[in-house]
Amino acid sequence: MILTIQQILFIVIALVVLISAVLVVTTRNLFHAALFLVVSFFGVAGFYVLLDAGFFAAVQVMIYIGAISILFIFAVMLTRDVITSARGNSQWIAAAVVAAAIFIIAAILLGPAALIIRGREFGNVQWSDPNGPAATSATVIGDLGRGLVSFNQYAVPFLLGAVLLLVAMVGAIWVARERRSRDMAAERAAAAADDIGSDTDQPVQEELPLPDNSMATEKH
Amino acid sequence: MSVFEVINNILKIVGDAVAGLITSLLGAGALSEIVVMFIAAFVICGFCAVAFMAMTYAERKIVARIQDRIGPNQAGPYGVLQPLADGVKMFTKEDTTPATADRWVYNLAPLVIAVFALLTYAVIPFAPSVVGANLNIGVLYVIAVGSGSTIAIMMAGWGSNNKYSLLGAFRTVAQLVGYEVPMLLNVLPVVMLSGSMSLVDIVERQTLANGAHGIPFILMLPLSALIFLISGIAETGRSPFDLLEAESEIVAGFHVEYSGMKFALFFLGEYVNALAVSIMFAVLFLGGYAGPVLPPYIWLLLKAAAVFTVLMWLRGTLPRVRVDQLMSFNWKFLVPMSIVNVILVMVLAKVFVADPALAAANGGIAVSPGMQALILFVSNGVVLLSALGIVARHARQMRLVEAEDLEKRRAQNMLVAAKAVAQ
Repeated sequence: MILTIQQILFIVIALVVLISAVLVVTTRNLFHAALFLVVSFFGVAGFYVLLDAGFFAAVQVMIYIGAISILFIFAVMLTRDVITSARGNSQWIAAAVVAAAIFIIAAILLGPAALIIRGREFGNVQWSDPNGPAATSATVIGDLGRGLVSFNQYAVPFLLGAVLLLVAMVGAIWVARERRSRDMAAERAAAAADDIGSDTDQPVQEELPLPDNSMATEKH
Repeated sequence: MSVFEVINNILKIVGDAVAGLITSLLGAGALSEIVVMFIAAFVICGFCAVAFMAMTYAERKIVARIQDRIGPNQAGPYGVLQPLADGVKMFTKEDTTPATADRWVYNLAPLVIAVFALLTYAVIPFAPSVVGANLNIGVLYVIAVGSGSTIAIMMAGWGSNNKYSLLGAFRTVAQLVGYEVPMLLNVLPVVMLSGSMSLVDIVERQTLANGAHGIPFILMLPLSALIFLISGIAETGRSPFDLLEAESEIVAGFHVEYSGMKFALFFLGEYVNALAVSIMFAVLFLGGYAGPVLPPYIWLLLKAAAVFTVLMWLRGTLPRVRVDQLMSFNWKFLVPMSIVNVILVMVLAKVFVADPALAAANGGIAVSPGMQALILFVSNGVVLLSALGIVARHARQMRLVEAEDLEKRRAQNMLVAAKAVAQ
């Protein structure tokens, strides 16, 4: 059997994806794990290129590598004792079983083989219509764009996803918000005023700091 | 074929000849195609290396002139051999690795940064039909590949096991990820107006041939061009946004531990990225290879050189911004302005349509291309001026509030002092 170039590339990319994915969970060094994850994502982008879906390859690189992995790496770099960290828990057997189960279910549901359980047919997905018109990359992107904005297709899930991301973003900003020093000073002043009102024997309240810039003080 | 046509298409003619030679040697098929592609990739990488040397020389000379210095003048006439001397110096330097460095990550980082910098050139159209790959998602590809250098810088910063490197890497995340947003948002109007993400199509829309109007997008979208240039400078980490390697604060940031050729690769990555931003600006806003009389590839290089001169000019004159200024400028000024601009361009391009057939089909007012360009130009200017006005007003208010606050504190302190005296 002579392999075509596409098949050779597919095997190489599949090996890269699988090996780096295994290394993500087996390596002890968290930073290396994050980098292997990047390699794995790149391999997936390579699959998209092989499938003639350049748009998805670019989006894969932009979102999974340009955004998600970078946040992972950033979080890992802020972690103490990256290299010497012991495994945090001993649930790997359970995790492996769950992962294998999900893989098998997904392979059955999405795979080409038909599986009949109690008269209902699972799987046997026809991913492309062999008799239909050949889809070029450009028409696929056009269909995708129209599908995401037309209301009888996927506009509602698309908008829901956008709202979810917006809510997450607003929540993150709220959690990480910087409390302004002016507000804190106002709170402190209010607390001090309360103290004075309730108890006149309180010691003199501390001086509020003036900025170091004495020039500014002179001006006003 | 006239002499002019030969000169204009010299790249294509030479390329076709080489491809024909390879095919006749190896026979038509996948093998000869792969060999031709490797040769093309090698030529583009060679172009980048030569451009890198020319750019370092030009930058050192021109920034020296701006700062009233002479610059390199010892190696060869006017110091033109300085890049070669630098290269020889880099080769002969000792290649050091810190004892506590993460060897694999540390040694891979310079390679990764150079590879990602060169990958951009695969889609750049140097002349009609002289383009590595005319992807229909060219713009998206350039942006996606650009995010790879962030990973390389983080690898270098973390792998060196040095606190200054790590600080540089932290700054990188904040800066490069943040400025990607306005960059994308300002490529979007160009993509909407040209109706394609392919760089070749975007250039063709700005040429006079094939029924296009021949108006470069900088005249239609001056605000987008400005923000793209600013965020492009920030993306390449050049002054005034060189916080990731700020020599005076964190020594040299992420590449402080690198020496010899590894340092040279970082240097190459930086300049190749700067050239890529210049060429992308020329392609998106200045009409790429379109231009009269001169051959197309000369036009592209001239336009890119002009943009790079602006980058050098900014580097020679502006001081570095602070981290908080960098973030506020991006998230509170550039991004909101870009979003307003995108929405405005979207609406205006739908209402005032330059193509009469399209106007008849989709509704909207048919106008001449010049009129459409004028409308977009004015709307861009209005957005910029109102954004500047809002910022100026806000700054004035902040100053007034601060003055009032200061007055209150002084009054209170005097009260406290009076109380203390009374007691």
